[in-house]
Amino acid sequence: MLACTIGWLATIPAIAQINGFTGQAIEVVPPDREFATSDEHYQYLLEKANGGTKHTFETLPRWDGLWYTAGNNHMDPFIDGGMRGGKVREGVLTPAYETAYKERWRQLQEEGQVRYDRLTHCEPAGMPRWLLEPYNHEFINLPHESWFINDFANGIRRIYINQEHTNLAEMNGAHSWYGDTIGFWDGDKLVTNTKYLMPADFTRWSPMTSNQLELVETWELKEFEDFDRLVVQVTMYDKHAFVKPINFVYAFRRADDLDEIGYRVQHWQCEESSNSYLDENGMTNFYLPGEPGYKDPRSSTLFPELPGQTPDPFNDPALE
Amino acid sequence: MKLNSICKALLVPCSLFLVPLGALAHHSFSMFDPDTEMVVTGKVVRWAFNNPHAWLYINVEDDNGEMVEWGFEGGAPPSLVRAGITGRTYVPGDEVTVMFSPLVDGRPGGAMCWVLAADGEYKKPADGGCGARDPENISRWEKWMEMGISSSKDPRAVR
Repeated sequence: MLACTIGWLATIPAIAQINGFTGQAIEVVPPDREFATSDEHYQYLLEKANGGTKHTFETLPRWDGLWYTAGNNHMDPFIDGGMRGGKVREGVLTPAYETAYKERWRQLQEEGQVRYDRLTHCEPAGMPRWLLEPYNHEFINLPHESWFINDFANGIRRIYINQEHTNLAEMNGAHSWYGDTIGFWDGDKLVTNTKYLMPADFTRWSPMTSNQLELVETWELKEFEDFDRLVVQVTMYDKHAFVKPINFVYAFRRADDLDEIGYRVQHWQCEESSNSYLDENGMTNFYLPGEPGYKDPRSSTLFPELPGQTPDPFNDPALE
Repeated sequence: MKLNSICKALLVPCSLFLVPLGALAHHSFSMFDPDTEMVVTGKVVRWAFNNPHAWLYINVEDDNGEMVEWGFEGGAPPSLVRAGITGRTYVPGDEVTVMFSPLVDGRPGGAMCWVLAADGEYKKPADGGCGARDPENISRWEKWMEMGISSSKDPRAVR
C-alpha cells in the first residue's frame, strides 16, 4: 500500500487553483525511473540530453521581467485531506521528521497557526522554501550562468551552466542557504542540481528539511490556455528527512501588473525594519514602540546628531 | 505507469490545498486574535512602508486622555503597491480609523484589515492576520461605527 501511495503521489494532479491566480492545474511529472541520489538522477538527464544544449546569447531562452509564485503541490505528499482537517501521511518522512511535522500540523489544526516561523529572525528562505515564497522573482539566463532572484531577503540562486559541483561545504566549512547549483540546457529546458544546503523547510506549516537535501529541477516556460507559466518539476532527495525521494511541481507567472506600473526590485532589508521575535512562549511576536528591542524602521540611526541619517527622506522634521 | 494509474483510481482525488495568499507571510500570525475585530481612530505617527511587512503607527487617545502609540501590521510593500498603496499613502499627522485584529496579549497593536482616511476613502493594506478579504467587512463596520461600536465582541455587534 505504501509503495502504491508513493507511486500515486508522483502523478497526482497537482496545483490547486487559488482565487484564479495560479491558473489551471499542472501535474507532477516524475522521472522515468527512480534514482538513489541526485547525482545519479542529474547525470542520467545529462546523458539523455547528449551532454546538453550549448546556448549562446542569441539562442538562450529569455525569462525576463518580474514573476510571482503561482502555486505548487508541496503539501500533497505530506498531508491527506487538505489544509483544514487533513492528516499527516505516515511513512513519507523519516520517524524523527514525521514526529516533528506532526507537532507543526497539530498547532495549525488545533491552534489555527503554527506558533513560530524561523523567518521571524530574518533568516533567508533557503531551499526548498525559496520556490514558494511570495514577493518577486527574476530569472536571468546567461550562457555560462543563470541567476534566479527572489527579492525576499535578497535570495539569489546562481546556476553554473555546464560545470561541475565545487565542494563549497569543504571550502566554507559549512553548507549555505542556496548551496551549490549546476545546470545544463536541454533545448529550452534548464535542468539543475543543487547540493550543500542549510537545513530549512518548505514553509512553517510544512515539513523541515535537513542539510542533506538535494534537488534536481527542470525549469521550462510553458504555454497554457489561461497564461504562460514557468513550470518547475522537482525531485527532492533528503536521506535524513524523506523515506524516499519525493516529486513536486512549482510554478511562476509573470507579474505584468508590477511591470506595467514600473515597479522595480529593491534591496530588501529585514534586520533594521522587522520587529518580530521569538517570545518566551515559543511564539512569533512583535516589539511595539517604547518596548526594549523595538527598532523604528523609519527613524533609527546611530548618528542622530547628523541630518539626513534616517531611512526616511520624506518626513524629516529638519527639512520642514 | 500502470501501477500509478491503478493507485490513482483507488485513492481518489488529490487534495486541494487552498492556502490564502496572505497566509504566506514570513511569520506566524499566532500573536493576533483572528476572531476579534476592533477599530480605533488616531493620527499617523509613522507609515513604515518597509519589507518584510508595512506597519502603520498611530497615536490614539485613551480613556484617561493619554496618547498611546498603536502599531498595526500590514502586507508586504510589493503586494500593497499592486493595490495602489505606496510609501506616501499615509503621512504623519493624517487622521485615520483602523480596523484590525488585536494582539492576543492586549498590547496596543494588531493586524490591520482596513484603514479609513479623513477623506472617506478605505484602503486595505492588510496581510493575512485579519479578515481583510472579507468583502463585507467595510459595510458591516460602517453600520457598527454609526452605533458607536468599537469591538466585534460588543453584544450589539450582530453580523
